[in-house]
Amino acid sequence: MASQITDDQFQHIAKLSRLEIKPEENFIKDQLSQAAEYVDVLKELNTDNTPPTFQVNHKTTVLRDDAITPSFTQEQALSQAPSSQNGYFKTSATIKK
Amino acid sequence: MNLNQLTLAQAKEGLAQKKFSSSELVSACLDQIKKTEPQLNSFVTVFEKEALDQAKNADLSKPLGGIPLAVKDNFLTQGQRTTASSKVLDQYLAHYDATTIERLKSAGAIIIGKTNMDAWAHGSSTETSDYGSTKNPWNINHLPGGSSGGSAAAIAADQAIISVGSETAGSIRQPASWCGVVGFKPSYGRVSRYGVIAMKSSTDSPGPICKTVDDAATLLEIMSGADHHDATSISEASWVRPVKLASLQGLKIGLPLSYFPPQIQPEVKSSILAAVETLKKLGAEIIELPDVLDPKYSIAVYTILQRSEVSSNLARFDGIRYGHDRSFFGQEAKRRIMLGTYSLSSGYYDAYYTKAQKVRTLICQDFDRQFQKVDAIIGPVSPSTALPIGASEGQAMFGEIQDMLVEPSSIAGLPGISIPCGFDQNNLPVGLQIITPQKREDLVYQIAKLFEDNTEYHLQRPKL
Repeated sequence: MASQITDDQFQHIAKLSRLEIKPEENFIKDQLSQAAEYVDVLKELNTDNTPPTFQVNHKTTVLRDDAITPSFTQEQALSQAPSSQNGYFKTSATIKK
Repeated sequence: MNLNQLTLAQAKEGLAQKKFSSSELVSACLDQIKKTEPQLNSFVTVFEKEALDQAKNADLSKPLGGIPLAVKDNFLTQGQRTTASSKVLDQYLAHYDATTIERLKSAGAIIIGKTNMDAWAHGSSTETSDYGSTKNPWNINHLPGGSSGGSAAAIAADQAIISVGSETAGSIRQPASWCGVVGFKPSYGRVSRYGVIAMKSSTDSPGPICKTVDDAATLLEIMSGADHHDATSISEASWVRPVKLASLQGLKIGLPLSYFPPQIQPEVKSSILAAVETLKKLGAEIIELPDVLDPKYSIAVYTILQRSEVSSNLARFDGIRYGHDRSFFGQEAKRRIMLGTYSLSSGYYDAYYTKAQKVRTLICQDFDRQFQKVDAIIGPVSPSTALPIGASEGQAMFGEIQDMLVEPSSIAGLPGISIPCGFDQNNLPVGLQIITPQKREDLVYQIAKLFEDNTEYHLQRPKL
């Protein structure tokens, strides 16, 4: 595993995470490298024939009845939105004209 | 004795016999909060007026009728401020009640306030809270542990009669241990996760933090049971506590040698070994387990899986539908989101995420192997007693190291409990953990209850 995270990787991860990293937070890069280095200990264990466990109850495809049940009103759903218009959440434009 | 110092069982009895009213009980807790909160900072929000109003109309026929409850601030409580101790949700009023909250409210509990925690439950100290660290009631220069540090401190300081927290890898047991109270972490899926702000969804387990084993069992009976809102919840009705055992005769209890790492505080070790003697006197056969998988692997598995799930779960906080935007995340959350994004990113997914999921299988198999030899496993909850304020700062892996002895059982989804079993030379509490196979909370309860009945550690209270 590549333990040392480069500046470019760090910027890329921040972008994927939608986080703005201030210059004074650049030390996080070294901490990520340290954590990545720590988890290298897992290489000591052979897992060639071991299946992964995603969660321990091993339930798969849990379905509910396809029935309409009471839910939020439009007013309730919008009650905590910083900005709304005509009953919709308002976001900044994602497509330029 | 003041009313706020009562256990749940004592408070219920007093209310039933009309020795005092729910209003007096709630007032006693609110008075204690006013008196001690400037020192402790256990709460993010206190609902004084609402709690007093509800107390006037308390239905004492219900199992928790009129009882003041402190709730960790990552449980959604409808119409009330719910922050997860992060400024991102500083003004957020929850849209609905978590399933657990709905059940506790139906049982008559009165929510007295929302307790402080590590922001988003990221930590084992409460020092990552955006609202300042909680202080340990036994010594305010020390940490309460975390992430449910506010709930554990509130119970230790008698600011509430009962409380709930949540554990992902130690967040109930470790603060309970450091604050000298009882923290019962159920099997994964025993208690619904619905409405608990998601941290690491594949191990998140809500559970009670209380003054006694029986109080915690009463809460677990109410909180547990299948929930159609949580697809991973166990398809069983509510858990019901079993009968008390007269002795532990015939029970084999395992002591993993790897749960005594080199850095363990000597008084923690001696307290656990004293507990071993107590359990022997009660009839248990103690069997040393020399080959339990080294907890260092669990630290690594937890680090990868927790960050990965966090990066996904916190992606929803976009500041469009509720809360502030992503610039409000603290450094700890940023660090965790970024490491998770890295381990899930193209080219690294198999080396990190898949590898960790495979080692999780090995950890589960290791427990299966040990439980062929023994009925339950015991050990220290934490390698040390409560560390001083500031101990976690600048340490990217603080929580992982503190929680190394509770991470394996969390990763495997096993139930466990922390109960008081001693004090160090500075009078800081030590916690004993009891772990059993999945869905064997009955055995956790029986061993813990008998230990508590035969010791007096849980009766000691901090001087505030």
